Amino acid sequence: MTGRDNAGVRPDGGPDAATPASLVDSVLEHPLAQRMLLFLFGVAVFTLIDLRGTGIGELLRPALGAPAESGLWGRFAMAVVLTTAIAFNIVVVNLLPRWSQVPVVWAELLFLFLAFFYSFDLSYEFIGRKIGFLITQGAFTTIYISLVSIAIASAIAMAAALAKMSNNAMAYGVATFYISFFRGLPLLMQIYLIYLGLPQLGFVVDPVPAGIAALSVCYGAYMAEIFRAGIQGVPPGQNEAARALGLKSGVTFRKIVLPQAMRLIVPPTGNQFIAMLKDSSLVSVVGVWELTFLARTQGRSEFKHLEMLITAALIYWVLSICFEMLQARLEAYYGRGERR
Amino acid sequence: MKAAHILAAGLAAAFISTAPATSFAGETLDRVMDTKTLTLSSDASYPPQSFLNDDNEMDGFDVDVAKEIAKRLGVELKIITPAWEVITAGNWNGRWDISVGSMTPTKARAEVLNFPAVYYYTPASFAVHTDSKVTSVDELNGKVIGVCGGCTYEAYLKKDLVIDAEGAPPFEYQVEPGEIRSYETDTNVFDDLRLGDGTRLDAALSALPTIQEAVKNGYPMKVVGDPVYYEPLAVATDKGDPEFDAKIAEIVKDMHKDGTLKALSEKWYGTDLTTVKQ
Repeated sequence: MTGRDNAGVRPDGGPDAATPASLVDSVLEHPLAQRMLLFLFGVAVFTLIDLRGTGIGELLRPALGAPAESGLWGRFAMAVVLTTAIAFNIVVVNLLPRWSQVPVVWAELLFLFLAFFYSFDLSYEFIGRKIGFLITQGAFTTIYISLVSIAIASAIAMAAALAKMSNNAMAYGVATFYISFFRGLPLLMQIYLIYLGLPQLGFVVDPVPAGIAALSVCYGAYMAEIFRAGIQGVPPGQNEAARALGLKSGVTFRKIVLPQAMRLIVPPTGNQFIAMLKDSSLVSVVGVWELTFLARTQGRSEFKHLEMLITAALIYWVLSICFEMLQARLEAYYGRGERR
Repeated sequence: MKAAHILAAGLAAAFISTAPATSFAGETLDRVMDTKTLTLSSDASYPPQSFLNDDNEMDGFDVDVAKEIAKRLGVELKIITPAWEVITAGNWNGRWDISVGSMTPTKARAEVLNFPAVYYYTPASFAVHTDSKVTSVDELNGKVIGVCGGCTYEAYLKKDLVIDAEGAPPFEYQVEPGEIRSYETDTNVFDDLRLGDGTRLDAALSALPTIQEAVKNGYPMKVVGDPVYYEPLAVATDKGDPEFDAKIAEIVKDMHKDGTLKALSEKWYGTDLTTVKQ
């Protein structure tokens, strides 16, 4: 807030008596003053935004009359009400016990989101009619493509990482070329190239295998770097100790290096997987009936796009949450050596 | 590392063995008759021509026409849904045999595809938001107009629409758009137009039946004036199989003759679009 680093010890949270500060600085360092300024800032912003056409305006109708005619005073009043509500909310949440704060904040934000969607005046009957197929066909295809792709991508990434770390110039060259090429192309371009390009060579691939191939080589290139970093992050002493015990290099890698590398590999890989789950939506361009494709086409059958897009968005989000949980479990498993 | 040598040899072998596949005459017809399936490529989001119905099956005028063609060939119909630009790019490599997708036989497309039979004619019309003051086509000069990219409507606005089919009624370019905005498909154009008059778009140019379908579903749009041109819409096949083309042409001709197409057109459009109107 102040732009001055507070070197002095200030048990009372007030201005530091030891440093001769200007009046403005010392006022600004008072938490209470800071909060007041923040409050005024909030009021100013909401006054500028003009909340007269929103639910807040309706809420204050008894006090102000018709929201649209309440003018500048109305805008100011609504801003004060909203800012007070937000401030009150922050105070209340801060008073809650720690374990309940996060769920409460989540619930509040979720409520705001749902209110935002609710304001679109959606046709729930339409969603109810379509959501079954969206999940059984769309979400299933999305998960299936993502799982197969991540499995193949992991295998490719491991091979590429080992090749990049090997002393063989040929293997190193192939690996670096592969990583550079497939990291350097947009995924959408790769899907088109594989789907339209391979048939020119006589290999006619169906849409689903083409999509899986594109996702695998693209993410394999990204994950190769993650794997390499993870393996190189294991202290070299581990390798030397294993060799001193007379273990063969293959066994050393499998039993000593890799389990320790996994602790570094799992978090970014989980990240990649969640990204892939969403990038699989690009496969819709070659006509795979996955979640995004169905959301778009079903919405267009009766010109109700927002319904389907929001539904699909929520399904993607739920899937991502599931994978976040899975990732947390994996991290706990591979991190167990650190906790002892 | 031996693996690297094997990999290198493999790469070299792969490059040598990928000689381009050659196609033989009659290939498509043979494939259709051998497998007893006719594979149709269709746009899944182009109501009422082709869309996913409530049973999650492909439905619409184009789909019904394709079903009838398959029936008369005595085979099953299988539908796949690649993107429109993938279909119009040609070089289908036997992935699908036929496109019954309300495609206009333009000169550019005829270089990569064959158009054995025209099966109906669609009027192309301008639409504006219901709040718009525009009442005639010539008031649209200098306006922001939305079209689907790669469609004939875009070509019309850019003044390079060459329809390459017999019996296509002549037309003239009546509008000088201020700005052309291209979208993935027609329904996206309507979505932007519905936001309000002049919010993102002043007008849209699209197929009259599609505009009417959107209006029926509550879109605040209205048609401006008469259709600016009629486009013949044809069945498309891949290059290189004259026997298959002849067979399709014959079937569509019969469907014109015995009133099947007329009945389907009335079912989906409420009017007969299967003959040229002036």
